[in-house]
Amino acid sequence: MKILMICTEKLPVPPVLGGAIQTYISGNLPYLSRFHEITVLGISERSLPNQETIDGVHYVRVPGQILEIYREGVIKYLESTSFDLIHIFNRPRLVLPVRKVAPEAKITLSMHNDMFNPDKISPEEATAALEEVSNIVTVSDYVGNVIRNLYPQATAKITTIYSGVDTEQFLPGYHPKMQKIRNEIRQEHGLENKTVIMFAGRLSHNKGVDRLIRALPELSKKFKDLAVVVVGSSWFSEDNITDYVAYVRAMTKKLTIPVVTTGFVSPSVIQNWFAAADLFVCTSQWNEPLARVHYEAMAAGLPILTTARGGNPEVIQLNENGLVVENPENPIGFVEKITEILSDKSKMKNMGIKGRELAVSLYKWDRVASEILGVWGDAIHTSSSSVPETLTDIYVEQEIIKDLVSADSIEAKPTDTKSNYKQKSTLEKKVEARPTDTKSNYKQKSTLEKKVEAEVKQEPIIELDNKPEKEIENNGMKDKSKTHSVRDMIKESLRESVRKTIIEQMIIDSNEVSTEDSISNLIRELKRRRNIE
Amino acid sequence: MDHPIIEPWESDDLTHEFYVPDYIERIAQDVLESYDLSVNSIQVITTKPDKGGAIWKLETTSGPKSLKLLHRRPTRSMFSLGAQEYLVKVQDARVPAIVKTMDEKDYVEAGGKLWFVAEWIEPLEPVTKDLEGAKHLCYALGEFHRLSKGYEPPQQSEVASRLHKWPSSYEKMIIKMDWFRNIANVYGELPASTHLLNVVDRFEEQARNSLTRLNQSSYSELIKKGNAFWGLVHQDYGWSNGQMGSNGMWIIDLDGVAFDLPLRDLRKLISGTMADLYRWDVNWVREMIKSYHESNPLTAELYEILMIDLSLPNEFYKNIKEVVYEPELFLNDQTTQLIQTIVDTDQTKWPVLKEIEDDWRGVESL
Repeated sequence: MKILMICTEKLPVPPVLGGAIQTYISGNLPYLSRFHEITVLGISERSLPNQETIDGVHYVRVPGQILEIYREGVIKYLESTSFDLIHIFNRPRLVLPVRKVAPEAKITLSMHNDMFNPDKISPEEATAALEEVSNIVTVSDYVGNVIRNLYPQATAKITTIYSGVDTEQFLPGYHPKMQKIRNEIRQEHGLENKTVIMFAGRLSHNKGVDRLIRALPELSKKFKDLAVVVVGSSWFSEDNITDYVAYVRAMTKKLTIPVVTTGFVSPSVIQNWFAAADLFVCTSQWNEPLARVHYEAMAAGLPILTTARGGNPEVIQLNENGLVVENPENPIGFVEKITEILSDKSKMKNMGIKGRELAVSLYKWDRVASEILGVWGDAIHTSSSSVPETLTDIYVEQEIIKDLVSADSIEAKPTDTKSNYKQKSTLEKKVEARPTDTKSNYKQKSTLEKKVEAEVKQEPIIELDNKPEKEIENNGMKDKSKTHSVRDMIKESLRESVRKTIIEQMIIDSNEVSTEDSISNLIRELKRRRNIE
Repeated sequence: MDHPIIEPWESDDLTHEFYVPDYIERIAQDVLESYDLSVNSIQVITTKPDKGGAIWKLETTSGPKSLKLLHRRPTRSMFSLGAQEYLVKVQDARVPAIVKTMDEKDYVEAGGKLWFVAEWIEPLEPVTKDLEGAKHLCYALGEFHRLSKGYEPPQQSEVASRLHKWPSSYEKMIIKMDWFRNIANVYGELPASTHLLNVVDRFEEQARNSLTRLNQSSYSELIKKGNAFWGLVHQDYGWSNGQMGSNGMWIIDLDGVAFDLPLRDLRKLISGTMADLYRWDVNWVREMIKSYHESNPLTAELYEILMIDLSLPNEFYKNIKEVVYEPELFLNDQTTQLIQTIVDTDQTKWPVLKEIEDDWRGVESL
């Protein structure tokens, strides 16, 4: 397939300036590009050319930073080039403009945070965008649930695909490749013979490193050898520091425990700091989607302490690879849990080992890529639904049902698409493969674990390009799926013809208006059509 | 024209008040080339060295003008310039008109920033620092808000809106109260620390109550009406940016305008004025609100939001938030005095708010 991946307007790909989404895209490309012809559309950056092809992936870069400017570049590009599938990252506001110039393409949307919240996108535009996308991939169950709560109609389209990490880049400090680096860093920063607690992230109230700083006086009474490393930018800068950084600096100044602050660390060498640490602490106060640092800490063989906020606890198996602070507002929670981990050195060590195991078995990029390939496959076999619901869901449904073989259990859920069917059954299969882990407080995580472990055992992940068919066969769902897909095909062809007319009309109507206007026009047109039908 | 990127500059005792780096002065000269103006003199009027902004006054053969270097991101500045143009051209508001470049543009982009020329309004006099002056300011503010309704920003601009941000700005205040407390605890040996610790709980509690009230108010319903319905707030309005001209009050320095509930400007004006009086005066507050209401009628719902916003510990927060930067310098005897003044003024606030809370009861809703 010809596939376009549209990045956000904030940071360039490859992630020369960092960024979770950028890292995610780059991590997956080596695998995805083996199966599809991929173009990555992102923002221009001084150190990168505006067009290049690396390892078979075509990169196109247009001006960014501001969504409005970026959107213009994206549209202009799409006017001259067409794709079978367009994968938009974290910008629901790009969906309708993209749909306008790419009426035929399937659209997959990846959601990395709360960009569907009402202050980010109007409910009207969000609703229309959700109808245009074939499926939505989220980085955690938490992110998916937030979208579900706002827009229940999107439920069937949402799938969680946990992110990944390069387990060759991030290695434990005891790994032969890292021992020297670990020792050097520790020597250079006076961390020899210290137990090093590491934080990595933005210095902001949401990320909450101040709670760790405030836990230190109490911890220093219990442990004499502590040191803290804060990896994050803007600590040193004299002007333009935020109130928050000023606050944390003021609080740190009075500590007796050494706090090493690194400033901005390039993503290409950040693994060295992980290798130099002994315990990783994520202090997030906000409902975070699911911070990448968890995967990196696991890969680096560090025990993890994280907070019960957003998607973060989804990757923690309590007492296995880490602990969770239930009430992260209060520094006491960090005092208690850090004490718990540091007091039992063998448990601490085992947590690190378990983390590394999980990273290698569950969170490598090839697993992420194979799941994305599955979602793309689903998208190609579904149709987006900019067709009047009355036409598809009632009229077509009834006509088809009349013509098809007598009712079976599927008709109880006529709106289920083939892809949902597959996802559900996959999940069921994985859960059945092993009984639920009763030890864990975080059920979602154990489900994923089973799911992937099962996959690892059955077939090498990298050969999963033909996975969907196999799964359906294995699942005893074969007949139902077939019935379903015949119906889907008829439905789809009907939808397609109606959709084409609508979109042609929309393009004629919105030819001479600005993009901002055309978004409302697109929505208006869709609504008008629905009312007429 | 290829110019260096404009950056904030150092200003200290060695540089005079209106110092602007030479390279920026040179860019200013180049920018003026884009205008059909015969400039007789150019003089710096004000600077924002820490942000990288400045204003010059130009004497030209076609009268006095201002030249402004806007420190914000160009796309953000486009939003404000679009608003200024809308207010003048569509609404005929008393706001300085933008002078077009020779190719009919509103601005010039140079050194990574936007520059523009506007009419210099003369004569312009600050209103008197008394109740009459305050009423003039309030009436003019209401007029500004009313006329700014319906503004649609240019397509290329960043939409600046604070409409949805009220709860998070209240929360931020609560969060920072905790910072003040923690710093005062850690720096307990400094003169103002004990005083700060004595009062911070009280002000934090006030902020929490305000947030609870905001969440229970019609705020969430009101903001659904959207940006264009509510129009713009000035964000920096007061005795210097609202001044009396020959044909009425003029409003200047629109660089920071943003969509919002208009009350925020009014609240700032009232609480700032009361701080200047060192006490809350029920007559002033009532008259100020009434003057505003004459030009931009308030509903009972909006009045309630105004009351809630006034109940925040605005002055305490505004004056103490500096503590995070250099606590050793800030927590001195002078700050002890400042805290006492704020506490004394705050005590006169509550009876006033109580007395006026029902003034708008029964006023027709939107």
